[in-house]
Amino acid sequence: MPSPLDLADLPFLREAFVEILLLGAAGGLLSAWIVLRRLAFFSHAAGSATFPGLVAADASGISPTVAGLAVALGYAGGVERAGRAGREHGEATALLLVAALAGGVILASDVFESGAAVDRLLFGTLLGLGPGDLVLSAVVAVLAALASVALGRTWAAIAFDPDSAPALGLPAATADRLLLGLVAVAAVAAIPAVGALLVAAVYVLPGAAARLLARSVPALLAWSVALALAEGLAGLYVAYWLDLPPGPPVAVLGATVYAVLALATLRIR
Amino acid sequence: MSERAVFAQDLAVGYGGPPVLREVSFAVAAGQTVCVLGPNGGGKTTLFRALLGELEPADGTVSVSGRPAYVAQTERTRLDFPVSAFDVALMGTLARGRWWLPPRPDDRAAARRALGRVGLADQAEVPFGELSGGQRQRALLARALVQDARVLLLDEPLSGVDPASAGLIDSVFADLRGEGRALLVSSHDVESARGFDLVLCLHRRQVAFGPPGEVLHRATLEATYGRELIVLDEAGPARAVTVQHHEHGPHEER
Amino acid sequence: MSGIELRAMLEVVLAGGFCGALGFWVLSERLAYGAESLSHGLLPGLVLAGLAGAPLLVGAAGGAVAAAALIALAVRDPRAGPDTGTAVAVTGLVGLGSLLALAPDAPQRLEELLFGDPLGATDTDLVAAAVLLAAGGAALASLHRPLVATSFDAAGAGALGLRPALVRLALLAMLAAAIAVAVQGLGALLVLAVLVAPPVAVRRHVRTPAATMLAGAVVAALAGVLGIQLSSLAGTAAGASVALVLCAAAAAGAALPARA
Repeated sequence: MPSPLDLADLPFLREAFVEILLLGAAGGLLSAWIVLRRLAFFSHAAGSATFPGLVAADASGISPTVAGLAVALGYAGGVERAGRAGREHGEATALLLVAALAGGVILASDVFESGAAVDRLLFGTLLGLGPGDLVLSAVVAVLAALASVALGRTWAAIAFDPDSAPALGLPAATADRLLLGLVAVAAVAAIPAVGALLVAAVYVLPGAAARLLARSVPALLAWSVALALAEGLAGLYVAYWLDLPPGPPVAVLGATVYAVLALATLRIR
Repeated sequence: MSERAVFAQDLAVGYGGPPVLREVSFAVAAGQTVCVLGPNGGGKTTLFRALLGELEPADGTVSVSGRPAYVAQTERTRLDFPVSAFDVALMGTLARGRWWLPPRPDDRAAARRALGRVGLADQAEVPFGELSGGQRQRALLARALVQDARVLLLDEPLSGVDPASAGLIDSVFADLRGEGRALLVSSHDVESARGFDLVLCLHRRQVAFGPPGEVLHRATLEATYGRELIVLDEAGPARAVTVQHHEHGPHEER
Repeated sequence: MSGIELRAMLEVVLAGGFCGALGFWVLSERLAYGAESLSHGLLPGLVLAGLAGAPLLVGAAGGAVAAAALIALAVRDPRAGPDTGTAVAVTGLVGLGSLLALAPDAPQRLEELLFGDPLGATDTDLVAAAVLLAAGGAALASLHRPLVATSFDAAGAGALGLRPALVRLALLAMLAAAIAVAVQGLGALLVLAVLVAPPVAVRRHVRTPAATMLAGAVVAALAGVLGIQLSSLAGTAAGASVALVLCAAAAAGAALPARA
């Protein structure tokens, strides 16, 4: 078993190490809001929908980040226009995601013949992260922190009682739009490390587990960040040790932590 | 002596915890109509569910002659489901058993007759969702007629219904009475209870049961409705209005 | 048209035919998200079957049962809400499945489990699809009137002497069986299309549940044949091609003006 300190020491793992720290911060903060605002499916869909765009960009030299952002923000815009109904997993969304995944795999395997890209795009990569990915993740982490400070109370009020928030004079619609947009950008930021299929491992699982432990919103945020960082680093270590893409280990760890905490807190109550 | 169509003795019903309805004792004979009054959450729907056999009594006994028919409010049904008025009436034949077989000619004839009785013969092929509120209620009533039950339970059948449909429904009630069936009709309309043989007042327990002349007095109504009750006329028979906290707003009678 | 392609077409016609019909109930009972979660969540079952050398169908069935149980548990916690609970369970299961599949010595190609492999249909798969269509079709036919009555008005159906809980359970069992069989051809990520796309394609153009089911079955079968043909002509992945044809059919059906 390799030493966990390799993550910080070895140069070729440095990008992954920093990326996971940044995503842990961003994911910790955002997954708290995502869980409170019931956006779990939206965050997953925003990631998966970008898949064909990423394949096409990958093969044609366009920055995949740009392609991913375009698709994800477009999806967020569509959901926002559809109102609250758009956030529920209707039939149209389900078929849209199937078409995105099927289209992506055909592009990857048969049009561009970049077969290896499919695994990387769907589940992430340990060694293939670049400076651009780190910059985007850093931007998202900073935005998540700033937004949590500036909009946190608004988001919490809307989560608690969506109907009366406008009456309190809160800019509910704007706050909503910003949250959707931020989640969409954040999903794209996580794709290089954990893959388009498993962004929920970063943006849902830590917040869901933190929800079991926290009784206040600040505590929720704190626990969520702590869990996201711990799960991210542990998952990264497992990926390094077993020669896997990081997405699956982070997902399995996140779900296991949730299950353990759910059982533990159930007994106490 | 007329047979008892519905009978309850010291009935208490709950949803797993402490009973939400208790001390219910009444008997309804064949051919009698009962108006069940009470506020929301007072136990009307709970009583119906116990009569339907959906809920086991926590205490006491309840018995119904045969399997009762149930006409729920149309909000509970699906408006986007692709069935016509005729299809809805035909569903009543499922009570005859053998649900795995397609409907027989006499099943279809019974459905057609029932639609005629409720005045929907011309709307038989219209999709249920395209019918008016009163027509939908009549279609559900047709389903109950096809079921040919001795006891019918109806949940606010006249609320939100246009006057023409209401009149038709009332005349069907009179026919059913004449056929010796028992009707239990829950309602928010206190004044309409005067037209029934018996009135049952529920507010988490049985407040009163008997003919309208005995039951529809101020004290009983206040015990039933509490703050939801507004009495309009102090002297003489109580003229009362009940306030509802949801869709319809205050109901006016007379 | 090679033998392999004929077999692939036969499989998608048989399995797709049943799924296209069942899809009406998936939509009516708002089971699309549940079906999607179930199909994604059975991935570990598929991988384990491959690792153990067992038939895919066994892994699919076992994986579906395990996924259903885990999702049911996760959903019950009121602190998270059903949306989040399902996401946790499904993300964990997909992570587990892909982790097992990407381990260096795994025999199964993960892509086929995710996106389907109709050209790899075995005799077992064909028999399973045929049994699904025959038995499932018979079940749908005999349960037709109870399904209609329960879906329209569960309380009223109970009063008629039906048991809505049992009817719904039968429907869920058929859904799990359909997913377990169809996942061979379309894969865990795409199989939802064969359940949801056919009824979406036809529902604005037909007027009764029975007609929707029959039309859905036909659309699914045709889409399957067309998808395999296209994949053969264009050299594209077969399962993904069928899925795209299904989605295109749904889009076309939803866009065409409804019959009066």
